[in-house]
Order: sequence, then structure tokens, then C-alpha cells
Amino acid sequence: MSNRELYDIALTVNDQEVKGRVKAETTLLDFLRDNNFYEVKKGCDKGDCGACTVIMDGKSTLSCITSVLQAQGSKIYTVKSLGTWDKLHSLQQAFVDYEAVQCGFCTPGMLMTAKALLEKNDHPSREEIREAISGNLCRCTGYKKIVDAIEAVSKGVRK
Amino acid sequence: MSSFKFYKPDNMEDLLKVKEELGGRALILAGGTNLLIYIKEGSIREGTLVDIKSLKELKGISGDNGYIEIGAGVTIAEILESPLLNDRVPFFTDTLKNFANPLVRNMASLGGNIADASPIGDTIPSLLVLNGRIKAACLKGERSVPLDRLFKGPGESNLKPDEVIRTVQFSIPERGKGTFIKLGLRNGTSCSVTSVAVWLAAEDGRVEDIRIAFGGVAPIPLRLKKTESLFKGEKLDEEKIRALSGEIDKEISPITDVRGSAEYRKQVSVRLLSRAVRICMGMEE
Repeated sequence: MSNRELYDIALTVNDQEVKGRVKAETTLLDFLRDNNFYEVKKGCDKGDCGACTVIMDGKSTLSCITSVLQAQGSKIYTVKSLGTWDKLHSLQQAFVDYEAVQCGFCTPGMLMTAKALLEKNDHPSREEIREAISGNLCRCTGYKKIVDAIEAVSKGVRK
Repeated sequence: MSSFKFYKPDNMEDLLKVKEELGGRALILAGGTNLLIYIKEGSIREGTLVDIKSLKELKGISGDNGYIEIGAGVTIAEILESPLLNDRVPFFTDTLKNFANPLVRNMASLGGNIADASPIGDTIPSLLVLNGRIKAACLKGERSVPLDRLFKGPGESNLKPDEVIRTVQFSIPERGKGTFIKLGLRNGTSCSVTSVAVWLAAEDGRVEDIRIAFGGVAPIPLRLKKTESLFKGEKLDEEKIRALSGEIDKEISPITDVRGSAEYRKQVSVRLLSRAVRICMGMEE
């Protein structure tokens, strides 16, 4: 491995600076998991499932097909930026209340896509919600409860 | 063992210098939605990732007298959000609404979808019927290449090793209406099985001009000029549309893959073309 070139990388994750040395082709996902951000899930690892979605510079982004060196200096937010166990973010609370979680693997990505959507469009229609989460696959709940939860937050409804 | 380097050019000249020096070993990295997957799959094993994502010279969308120019680094999401394109050429923005999924659209660039030279690149059929061209740049200068002469085969284009796509241009036809139909296995996050773009101008039901392009029915995205010539001048009704659409058989050569058989693609292409023509004629929503 000695002949491999490594590059310096510095970015912020959940407002904390994270630095490292990476290979040219290292993905943002692998970098995050190597730095203990295990809340970012590795599903298909080829941009099809959305489990690895983070918010990068305000946009929902698939970290598995983002080169970490392209994220140099970027602000990255993972699901842990949303809320804490004692004080859940309204989206997290709604996912609990509406039973939008079953196995939970898609949830971190789903929540970040939902957050990016609501930041851009605070009153999306159900169709707009369905469209926004169309790159986040859930194999358990069948989406209805997920859409219900996101819609409830957008309307300020609490169950 | 795979071995990659990373380089971020500061400007266009710097990019072209790297391309001149490294040729095909300079791997242009914009959104990365294809390139990083090729690297993971092992189909690309070495080279220098050249990060053009924030290169200003490859950004921007401009329009003048029905002539549109889009920077190769513009993302699919930026095209979808462009007031200029939505206003002037909604046909093209509508085309991209089923491009992969919203996450990929945030990342993938127009130039990347073209340079990938996939027979099912979803931006390409619509650009083909708009008589789209690319400007290919190298250190020596620029040349303009019509899209229908750019592709050689799956993943292969006529771009030279030292060239990059700088912009994509097309003229909005003065008359007529366009439509694009993508047939995937589902609506979201889906590769095309087959896709069709049609631009049609008619007067009293008679075809004055028609342009037809397909994805997924040949080794390259294809303009169907023979079929177009059969339609030209014809007065169209349901039966005529069905009969003429059946003639594409002679111009397409689909293959069997995981998404569908060659025979299925042939049959469904006829139906897709009929439907696209009916939509352009206002005979169907």
C-alpha cells in the first residue's frame, strides 16, 4: 500500500470538524463510517437505495456515490443532527407516532430526505412527498405511514 | 490492484491541460453517479479523478432567440429548476422528471449523462429530436458535434481522449410539440427499458415535420430518420399512426437484458411511438 497516494480531507459533520487522510476514490459514506458516524447506513452502495442519504451543503445527497474529496470543506449533516433521545426532532417524533419505522434501516436516510424537502418546501402535497422520497427505498412499511408522518409534520399536526 | 489519483483543476485551461497530458486516464468526475460505481465494480481500475464539480466555466444556462446553451456541469436538478428552461422549452424539462430519482438528480450532470454514452441515457433522446449539439473543447480549440454523430456504441463516443464536453446546445423548433415517454420497470429510481422522444409539427392533421429518437433499442441512442420520412406529409389518424409506427422494426435492433427481451422491446417500442405521436397530435393526454 505504500505506493498509494493519500490526500488530506477536512469537512464538518454535524457542525464538528472532521479531518483525515483518504484515497482518491474514497466515498463520503466510507469516510463517515470510518469516523464512527455509523448512523449513516450502507445499503446497496451504488446509489439505488438511499439508505446513505445525508444533507451536504443543503442538498440531500447519496454519500455512497459522492467522492469525499469533492466534499472538501462541505457541511454535512447526518440523522444524529436532528434530535436527541430526550428531545426528538418533529420528524423523528412523527415517524414514531405514525409507526413509519419497522426494521429501521431506511429511516436515517428517509429522515434526511424529508428534512431537505421540508426546508425547501414547507407544505408539500402528498404527491410531492412521494416524489421526494422516491430514491429512498423501504422494504417494510410500504411508504404510506412514512408519507403520513412527513405530511403531519408539514401541517404541524401531532398525533 | 486499482490505483487512483485525485486532481481538482482551478479553471478550464487547467482542466484541458490535464486532459492533454493524461488523455483517457483523466477521469472526469462531476456528480460521480456513474464514475464511482464503475470504480467500485472494477470496470475502471486506474486513472486520475479530475474534479470538475465546481468549475464555473461548465455551469450556466443561457437562452437567446430560441437558442439554448447549457453548461456540461449543470445538474439535472438545476435544469428542472431553471425558470428559463421551464418557460421556453418545457418539453425538455418534462423529459427529466423521471430521470433516476431526486437524490441522483441533485448530483448527476447533463454532460456526464451524455459522455457516459449509454444507449439508455435519459437526457439523450430529447436532445436528439431538438437537433442538439455539444461543444467539445481541448487545448487546441473547440468543435461542435451533432449528438446524432457523437455515439459509437455502448459507453463509446467520438470524443477524443483530450476533449471534454463544455456545453450542450439546441434550438427550440418554431412550430410543433414534443413529448418524451420513458418506460421503466417502475416509476422511481429506474433505468429505461426503452424510451422515445418525438417532436412533431402538423397542419390540419398532416405531418409537416417529425423527429423521432429512441433509447434502449440499439447500441446507441438513435434518431429514426427512415421512420420519420415515412410519417412526413401523411395525414394521420389512429390507424395510420399504428401502421407507420410498426415500420420502426426495420430501423431498431434491441437486445435482451435483465430489463426486457429483444422481442418485448420491439413490440413495446411500436406502442410507445404510437402513443407519443398521438400525444403530439393532441389525440391523447
